[in-house]
Amino acid sequence: MPSEDESRVPLLQGTLDLMVLSTLKTMGPQHAYAIAARLEQISEDLLHLNQGTLYPALVRLEQQGRIKGSWGRTESNREAKFYAITKAGEKALAGETLRWRRMSGLVDKLLAQGA
Amino acid sequence: MRRFFARLRNLLNSGRAERDLSREIASHLDLLQEAYERRGLSPEEARLAARRAYGGVEQARELHRDARSFLWVEHRIRDMRYGARNLARTPGFTAVALLTLALGIGATTAIFSVVNAVLLRPLPYRDAGKLVTLLHGGTGPVASGNYLDWRDQNRSFDAMGAADAWGPNLTGIDHPEHLAALQVTQNLLPMLGIQPALGRLFRPGEDQPGNEHEVILSDRLWRRRFSADPAVLGRTILLDGAAYTIIGVMPREFRFPPFWATRAELWAPDVLADRAQNRGGNSMRVFARLKDGVTLAEARAEMAGITARLERQYPGTNRDVRVTPLKENVVGNIRSPLLILLASVAFVLLIACANVAHMLLARTSDREREIAVRTALGAAKSRVIGQFLTENLLLAGLGAVTGLALAAWGIKALVKLAPGELPRIQTVSIDLPVLVFLLIVTLLTTLLFGLAPAMRAAAAEVNGALKDGGRSGSEGVRRNRVRAFLVASEFALAFMLLIGAGLMIRSFIALKAVDPGFNPHGVLSMVVSVAGSAEAQPGRRVMFYRQLLDRVRALPGVEAAGGINHLPVAGDLWGWPFIIEGRPKPRPGESPGAVYRIVMPGYFQTMRLPLRRGREITDADDSRTPGVVLINERAAATYWPGEDPLGKRISFENDKEKRPIWLTIIGVVKDARQYDWAARPDPEVYLAALQHHDFLEDPAAHWSYLTLVLRTRGNPADLAAAVKRTVWSFDKNLPISEVLTMDAVVAGATAEARFEMLLLAVFAAVALLLAVVGIYGVMNYAVSRRTHEIGIRISLGASRAEVLRLVARQGMIQALAGLALGAIGALLLARLIAGILYGVRPTDPATFIVVMLVLVLAAVTAVCVPAHKASRVEPMIALRHE
Repeated sequence: MPSEDESRVPLLQGTLDLMVLSTLKTMGPQHAYAIAARLEQISEDLLHLNQGTLYPALVRLEQQGRIKGSWGRTESNREAKFYAITKAGEKALAGETLRWRRMSGLVDKLLAQGA
Repeated sequence: MRRFFARLRNLLNSGRAERDLSREIASHLDLLQEAYERRGLSPEEARLAARRAYGGVEQARELHRDARSFLWVEHRIRDMRYGARNLARTPGFTAVALLTLALGIGATTAIFSVVNAVLLRPLPYRDAGKLVTLLHGGTGPVASGNYLDWRDQNRSFDAMGAADAWGPNLTGIDHPEHLAALQVTQNLLPMLGIQPALGRLFRPGEDQPGNEHEVILSDRLWRRRFSADPAVLGRTILLDGAAYTIIGVMPREFRFPPFWATRAELWAPDVLADRAQNRGGNSMRVFARLKDGVTLAEARAEMAGITARLERQYPGTNRDVRVTPLKENVVGNIRSPLLILLASVAFVLLIACANVAHMLLARTSDREREIAVRTALGAAKSRVIGQFLTENLLLAGLGAVTGLALAAWGIKALVKLAPGELPRIQTVSIDLPVLVFLLIVTLLTTLLFGLAPAMRAAAAEVNGALKDGGRSGSEGVRRNRVRAFLVASEFALAFMLLIGAGLMIRSFIALKAVDPGFNPHGVLSMVVSVAGSAEAQPGRRVMFYRQLLDRVRALPGVEAAGGINHLPVAGDLWGWPFIIEGRPKPRPGESPGAVYRIVMPGYFQTMRLPLRRGREITDADDSRTPGVVLINERAAATYWPGEDPLGKRISFENDKEKRPIWLTIIGVVKDARQYDWAARPDPEVYLAALQHHDFLEDPAAHWSYLTLVLRTRGNPADLAAAVKRTVWSFDKNLPISEVLTMDAVVAGATAEARFEMLLLAVFAAVALLLAVVGIYGVMNYAVSRRTHEIGIRISLGASRAEVLRLVARQGMIQALAGLALGAIGALLLARLIAGILYGVRPTDPATFIVVMLVLVLAAVTAVCVPAHKASRVEPMIALRHE
């Protein structure tokens, strides 16, 4: 394995689903590459993401009924599978967002105390 | 839930999901490449960059598969396929491992199925755990007066019933038959909670005098003698010449009582009215059902109080009355032999596991490269272990299936081999508990033999294995330690098993060598019953018995003939108290007593039971001459120590004027085995049949039969038909039963020991074989792995003898360490086996020495071959080999 860039953050367990849902919510239906590109762009390349690791999250979310995949064409007329967030996905996203906010707020608080 | 179905769909349709994924990955890579090309990279550079950015395609696939399906199941299925291919690729290994496991699992399952049927299953009565027996000393019968007092005074039991053994003659339909039967108190059968298949049970009042002529049949008797005719209810049959009405037929599986008089197939009411005050005639077995909420301990405490009070009231009675769970009476004696057998067979299974573990270890080492490649290509450690465990599970599962077939066959053999008296042996079968046991054993087995190799596989060093080809150099110390441990445990277990088998063999030889006192070879016996026949009439019986013996003696092939009331070893056993002339009246309960037998002239000569002193009973000792009696040596030594018993007089009963009827001791005979083959004979007396009023006149069934014994030339069984014809030439309605050769009687007495010995011997032989194969395999493997090292040693000047010693020493140290452990184990386990041994101590030095020698010899043989092979290593070939 190549040595890893220290400044890159590894993916926090369980957060990928949340990021995918939120990306699809704001950007509308996207294919896997676009999702990955968006995530890297937003994180300003801080997020260390092998794009292949998206797939388990996508398949998991699809099985949970939170997103739905269908084959379509990109602007450059290439075949790609587009994922769209479902009603259930939006509900889940709301819940997850709330939970995440609470969690990160708590962690922030704790870290602030320690500093 | 939704995800569950999605996964299930994917599991069933993994091909489509896989294609879909490939398509998606391809499109993703294209998109990536396009993006890189837009940034100005050449198509080739862009393609590589896309790949890099994407990460491992295979790993992505793997992750995707994990997420989309029942990962575990899909992996197992894939592992299973892979494992099956692997096993099929090495048929030799697979066959040996499979056979070893099947042998271990099959034997263990077969023995467990016996333990399950005999020991674990509840008795077939309603709420059988609450049924108890109340017996003197736990096994001895009880007098009717005592039973009635207990029944009326206790508060611990819902019901208390009792039974007397009964042997009526069934006459009046085609051929006569002497039946095994029971007379039971009215409440006994209802207490068991089993409904009759036909008709009804006895009603209250039906055990009162005048109402007692009703019977209930067993299913077997109903089928055998009444053609399973449902119209049999209400029919009248003759038992000992009296009319009885059939009121019920019990279900096919009903057996009662389960521990004594087990062949009973007819039940009639037991009338106690005229013996309510009988406190000395111990003949009944008492059964009771504990009340809800009353514990065994509470019932015991209450009965102890009741019997202590009754003992004060009637001195000499009610002693040592024990309340025992009914099941304990049924299986108490067989429990420890069966558990010993189960433990032994578990040892065999452990040895089998050790062998397979070693085989797998060796295989794992050979597969290190394969593991390393898979790990390098991204397989997780847990998946490698999972793959190995699945392969092992597959092996164990195949072993279990083969083992189950072996067990089914083994059960048949066991049932055939088992002594007939082994309780409930006929009910042995493969049922749910046995299958559950099989499953648990299989899983445990897999863990036992598979875990070490799987851990070993997972710990394989990727780089090391790939770089050096995984073959050169010496083996790791740790792995050698595991192998040494396996070999040592195999030898330890085999040692303990061989000790067990050796002790049982010695015990069996000792039992076989028991001198029964008489010579059983060539003796035929049968019971001729006269109850209810014309021959039973007063005055007729003596003539009949004399003439019968005369005619039997005249048959060709008969050397001698005689008769006795109860045959030794096989027959009933009556104990009877007596008084000795000129001695003070004994305190109640302390009268001298003896096993009570009644013989026709010719008995001792026929049995070749030697007369030590005095004379035998002859035809001249009849009702006109003074009463005579013979005693055995034990009686002489017990009651007349240092005295001459000849001419002394004893008395068993009083005449009408309450004066003792004296019998003069005319001779002393050698002690003969009485009932329990392994027990030292008790004092015994032989009265003259021709002088015995009850034996010749009493119409009661228990006086109305004679056991004929004849000594024959040639095979005694050949004469049975001729003797039966002779009996029936007097009266064709005389039932004949228990046609036995004395050899068969003696064999029956040692059958249980023989059964245990045979099984233990078989287990020990298998264990020995497996242990030898095990040590051979380990040493052979070690040598083949060390060929390189040995080559270096030899080229550096080690002599072949030194190499031989080196290798042999390594093997022998392992074996000897095992032997030492085994010896310690055997000494620790000695206490457990002591209970089933006869005439040999569990620490018998001879057995230990012989077993030790056998195992050392076996180890030397097993180690020699590989050691010799090692010493023949050609250094140049060995070194070039890598």
